Amino acid sequence: MTGTTTPAPTRTTFDFDQMLQTVKDKQWSLADIDWDAPGAETMTDELRAKMRPFMADLVWIEHIGARGFASLAKKAPTPTIKRIYEYFHAEEQKHANAELALMKRWGMLDEDGSTPEPNINVKLAIKVLDDYGDSLPLTGLATLIPLLECALDGALVKFLLEEVTDPVCHEVFRHINSDEARHITVDFQVLELIGAGPLHKLIIESIALLQPQVIIGLIVVFTPLINKMRDNIVAMGLPEQKLYNAVKRFATIGSRGAHTARIPAYHVLKAQAAMVVDRTSPYHRLLADPMVKLTSFVPAKVLGRPQAWVDELTHEPVAS
Amino acid sequence: MTAPTRGYAGELIRGDGWRGRAFTGLTVAVIAPGREAAVIVPELVRTARAVKVFQEEPDWLLPLPLPLPGRLARPAARIGLRLAVRDPWTRRRLTPDPRFNRHRPRVDGRYYAALQEPHCTLISWPVYALVTGGVRSAEGVEHHVDCIVLGESAARREDLCA
Repeated sequence: MTGTTTPAPTRTTFDFDQMLQTVKDKQWSLADIDWDAPGAETMTDELRAKMRPFMADLVWIEHIGARGFASLAKKAPTPTIKRIYEYFHAEEQKHANAELALMKRWGMLDEDGSTPEPNINVKLAIKVLDDYGDSLPLTGLATLIPLLECALDGALVKFLLEEVTDPVCHEVFRHINSDEARHITVDFQVLELIGAGPLHKLIIESIALLQPQVIIGLIVVFTPLINKMRDNIVAMGLPEQKLYNAVKRFATIGSRGAHTARIPAYHVLKAQAAMVVDRTSPYHRLLADPMVKLTSFVPAKVLGRPQAWVDELTHEPVAS
Repeated sequence: MTAPTRGYAGELIRGDGWRGRAFTGLTVAVIAPGREAAVIVPELVRTARAVKVFQEEPDWLLPLPLPLPGRLARPAARIGLRLAVRDPWTRRRLTPDPRFNRHRPRVDGRYYAALQEPHCTLISWPVYALVTGGVRSAEGVEHHVDCIVLGESAARREDLCA
């Protein structure tokens, strides 16, 4: 359909079929990893107490990423990109599972091995993605997901690897980082593809983004999500500058593309990212920090029953 | 079709091999798209101890052979799904992509009920390999099963049956 309406010269040249094949070839399993290998003793009691809430956040952020890819799969412009997104959905789930398995290895899970509770900002993000993710136009979601991936995933994983010396953890994250590199590549190549599309389509989709639930979602859910994460990082005694460097990557990679700059949603989120990394910006004082405080008063009950996809998390490498 | 599967130690069933068999006490994996799984799964669920349905892609199903014109078949199938499955996430995984799914709705009234049996699990993660113990899917878990039923398209996949 789009093949006839898209002007040929603006087509991008990225080979998504080749990428899908690479994704298939690079699959790994929790069963590939020896979870009882020596090294768990490097997790001291002090470090364990410090890392436990951090790991729980990380698991949930992967899980949000997973749900984001599930929505993207419903919007993908071609069957190949749809399949790639389905794999990425599963891979984010795999990362969450692997991080849960690490938590189990380090004695951070309860006796029954149940998944730790997410904080309220994560719960809000899950709820909003579940309710509205599937109905968001592709441009909105396709721009938001790489920002979240750069900011949260990228920054958090760096912290973790600097803090923890357990070789199994490093082995797991070699796999995860290699997956994430492909996620980021595809995220930005899809932005290129969208940006290369006809202008009227970009404008119509951008206007469709100006719905109250999208704007409120951005302000109430994703703004405090990033700042809450920063608060947690600062509470752990880590420099927040690293989070900001990761956020900056979003604009850096985005600016490399020839067509990405034609997407209005990209500019909106880039502007927000620029405010996030500027600690003196009134954005923090007037919007983001008050939002963290406000959302902390939201009772979890108003969000209703947890979504069924949350039950699919597991730390067991083998299911029988 | 005759090529050995990479290392899977259990029994691999292709074609119609599952028909008329009792799977008493066994855990069975089914790898097939919705249109094929709809035929296979309700039969297996009757006898097997547990069934794991690795659904490659969902397809529309009509609960009854209604004499509907083509244009109404899909909306009718959607209503059927809505009535048969309460959980929204399960329903989402059973809903075909309206842009890329070109298969006509198939008449089957038993698949959705079978999937919701307590010993039946719907898994929509992509399957990427068969190993000695069973099926590896992309969410990182190795699913151990006693035998695997491959649908037509899965039996042709070179990455599974190399």
